[in-house]
Amino acid sequence: MITFRDLTLRLRALLSPRQVEHDLHDELSFHIERETRKLIEQGMPPHQARATAQARFGSPTVVADECRDERGIAFVDNTVRDVRFALRSFRRAPLTAFTIVTTVAVGLGVVAVLFTILNRFLFRADSVPDISEMYGVERPRLANGDQSPFTRPAFDALRRETSVFTDVYANVGDIDLRVDGRMMAATLVTGNFFSVVRINPVMGRALAPADDESGGNQVIVLSDKGWSRHFTRDPNVLGRTVLVGGTPFEIVGVMPAGFRGLEVSAPDFWAPLAQLAQFLPAHRGREDSAGVGIIGRLKPGLSMEGARAQIAAWDSNRESATTGGLPRASGSESRDRAETIVLVPKRGTLPQPMEAVAIFTPLFFAFGLILLIGCANVANLLLARGVARQREIGIRLSLGASRRRIIRQLMTESGLLALAAAGGGYLISRLALGSIVYFATRTMPVDFGDSNLDIAVPAADWRVALFLVIAAMAATAFFALMPALQATRVEPVRTLRGELVKNARPGRARNVLIGIQVFASALLLIASAIFLRSAMASSQFDPGFRTVDTMIIQVVNEPKRAAMVQAIASEPTVTTYAAVRPGMLAWPDAGFAAVGASRTAILYKFVSPEYFEVFDIPIVRGRSFTTAERDGEHPVVIVSESTARKLWPNGNGVGETFRLEPNPGSNADAKDEPSMPARLVTVIGVSREVAGFRILDTKEAGIFLPISVNAPKTAVVARVKGDPALAHRTLVDRLTRVDPNMGMIATMRTVVRLETFFLQIAFWVSLVLGSLALLLTVSGLFSVLSYLVAQRTREIGVRMALGASSQKVTRLILAQTTRPVAFGLLAGVGLAASLATILIALPAGAMIAEVVRVTDPIAYVASLLVIVAACLLAAWIPATRAARLDPMQTLRQE
Amino acid sequence: MTPRPDLLPGTLDMLILRTLQRDALHGWAISERIQEISQDVLEINQGSLYPALHRLEHRGWIEAEWAVSELGRRAKYYRLTAAGRRQLAVETREWERMSNAIGRVMKHA
Repeated sequence: MITFRDLTLRLRALLSPRQVEHDLHDELSFHIERETRKLIEQGMPPHQARATAQARFGSPTVVADECRDERGIAFVDNTVRDVRFALRSFRRAPLTAFTIVTTVAVGLGVVAVLFTILNRFLFRADSVPDISEMYGVERPRLANGDQSPFTRPAFDALRRETSVFTDVYANVGDIDLRVDGRMMAATLVTGNFFSVVRINPVMGRALAPADDESGGNQVIVLSDKGWSRHFTRDPNVLGRTVLVGGTPFEIVGVMPAGFRGLEVSAPDFWAPLAQLAQFLPAHRGREDSAGVGIIGRLKPGLSMEGARAQIAAWDSNRESATTGGLPRASGSESRDRAETIVLVPKRGTLPQPMEAVAIFTPLFFAFGLILLIGCANVANLLLARGVARQREIGIRLSLGASRRRIIRQLMTESGLLALAAAGGGYLISRLALGSIVYFATRTMPVDFGDSNLDIAVPAADWRVALFLVIAAMAATAFFALMPALQATRVEPVRTLRGELVKNARPGRARNVLIGIQVFASALLLIASAIFLRSAMASSQFDPGFRTVDTMIIQVVNEPKRAAMVQAIASEPTVTTYAAVRPGMLAWPDAGFAAVGASRTAILYKFVSPEYFEVFDIPIVRGRSFTTAERDGEHPVVIVSESTARKLWPNGNGVGETFRLEPNPGSNADAKDEPSMPARLVTVIGVSREVAGFRILDTKEAGIFLPISVNAPKTAVVARVKGDPALAHRTLVDRLTRVDPNMGMIATMRTVVRLETFFLQIAFWVSLVLGSLALLLTVSGLFSVLSYLVAQRTREIGVRMALGASSQKVTRLILAQTTRPVAFGLLAGVGLAASLATILIALPAGAMIAEVVRVTDPIAYVASLLVIVAACLLAAWIPATRAARLDPMQTLRQE
Repeated sequence: MTPRPDLLPGTLDMLILRTLQRDALHGWAISERIQEISQDVLEINQGSLYPALHRLEHRGWIEAEWAVSELGRRAKYYRLTAAGRRQLAVETREWERMSNAIGRVMKHA
């Protein structure tokens, strides 16, 4: 029980220890003096009286010590003493301390890298005042992950008719567009946005409600990120105009650093939502049907559930009003209705933290393996040292130290080292993150950097520090506890005689540790081998169409289409060009091919006749489209080889007719494309199969319909002469002059490289981890074996003197490691293979498995060979050293 | 010195509290008082008296004050607190129950 008095007494003891000690001394000496006085009064001579009093009292030191123990600050006292002792022992063996700190620091650093990234997405809340009041109003996610959004009119009604929010704003985010020839990210917001989040600009003004009225002001407000990325933090940026969709927009304000607008990554600028059509021309004229996000500041004191219920009630009233009050709700449906609104806390972090955690868990596991191996190394080292320190520990035990006390002291020692390692780990993680970002941006395919990928070294904050300290403590528990228990399991008397206690030779623990290390290295190396093989396969992968010198050009601005196509046609580097809808990187439209009575699901897209020429896709049977057929009136199609086989297993396809029906549930409507009526079409040709990309979520269509290059909603694909990167730059220059807001333009080579790029990143990450793992394992194995040889010098000498050959001795030492290494390898391969099997069995995993060859036998065998070779190497040197021992000399030494 | 029976475990705290029931005393006086009243049957091991005093102080059952003693030098006087009084009542009750029970067993068993 801790009372207030107790606390004040303890505090006093801690804060003024001198005074407390003084008082204690006074109190005890008074007792002795008083007793002496009594004895003198009873007639004893003074010197005898004093001696008797002292004898009756016993040792004042011991009594004082017991009083201190009662005082309850013994814990602090002991810790201070332990720390001092630990520092002394580090000075005695600085190399050991250094090795432990470095090893654990590498492990902690690797894990900290991952945590810093995770921290950025999950925990770093936006700097918005009272951010806990911010909630998004959303409809629940459907089973397929889709979410039906609200519209601007719905938002206006919600703002007018409900009273759960202090105020609420609407936004449309993630708009990537070319502004003044550069790709920027914009978020459109209602005029009250900045007053809802309560953020003031560092320069100029924020958006105001007046800006957002229809026919309001064409103004934008820069984020700190946009200001530094595109305007080099120019202090005179206010009043400058940029062209968006051909309309000049004035920069009226700059927002403070650290404000992200409740998004994970800040946009470059904010603009009034009323200007939607300038930013997304597809919505021109039907702005009211565009989906918007709704985020509000909950009234203080209102519970989230109460607010949700109010909005849901408002929503169902509104629903029945718009459906004319028809009774559409049966019992169960009305319960469903109650769940049509969810309130989602908005913190500027990932909206689905659980999904992010699911992604990060295996990564933490992989990165944590390094820490695990490092800790195992240190544990082994400490085990070895424990044997060496048996004498010291034996002495202390026989002097009356309790085993608990010594274990605590050993743990304090390790904890201190781990804390130092946490500091080192922090430095390592900063260094690693810096170089990762550097290499990632350097090796990224050229024009990919043109996009809005936000690559910067994530900042570390107090959470990273806390994480490191906790991880360091956990690591201490793992690497220090077992050796401390082992080291104190000694018999004082025998150790004092200089005998090593047999029981304390921790052979089994050591083997388990080696096994764990080999296991972890095996897992990581198999992973890196798999990624390497997949990256190699991917770089040789043939998507089935020409990618070296082709490019894709998005046309976003319909009124500018003719001028754009004209510019492309007159560009001398362009040899041929074609139109395609949907674009090359989009999923083709879904539909059905009805042959007789059977309907087959197929993917189709519209291409101009030059498409097959641009991409070098041969027509294997029949003919290509003629220029006359591009008007779209001719009911002719070209089908791919596999589609022909699927639809007409016995015929060759050419000349067949079938009915092509669009899938009404397909996303063609969402993509805002003209709908295609069902029609009867004739196959005029069969094109060679195109594999398509694998990592991008696209697939080549099986059926091609003719279309003109000037048709709306098409993208342009072109074949260029000379260096594609150069042609890319020329085209960007030329086309941004036609339309400064033009969409994406990328070489196909980049798209192809992107696929390899990701695999290469995965390969390098797992290779670095795998090599670290192997390095740590090998060095651990080496030091353990060296130590064992040193320990058994005498035994080996005797064996050799009795006639053991040096070969036999070598084998003896190697045999020490065979079992743990074999077990580790088996476990590693077993786990890797079973993980792979599980992955393939998952529906999402099957797609990954197509690209990442998780069961590649060469990868498994190669990494196993590497590990076995490395372990042999590590064991070889100690083993030969043992074999080269001179038996006479070793025996004489004893 | 004739061997003396050890104090029953756990009774030292109770004896200290009881001794302090009337007035504040310093450590030596407490041990003297116990010895005196028990007619020298209970002699408190002086070494164990002080840790006990510090323990009781930390529990909040007694509080200490420095005052000038009969020797003319300062000494630490302990006094019962309200919580200490309650604790003493509890321990007295418990003790009586125990000693009655033991007495009955010794008489009738």
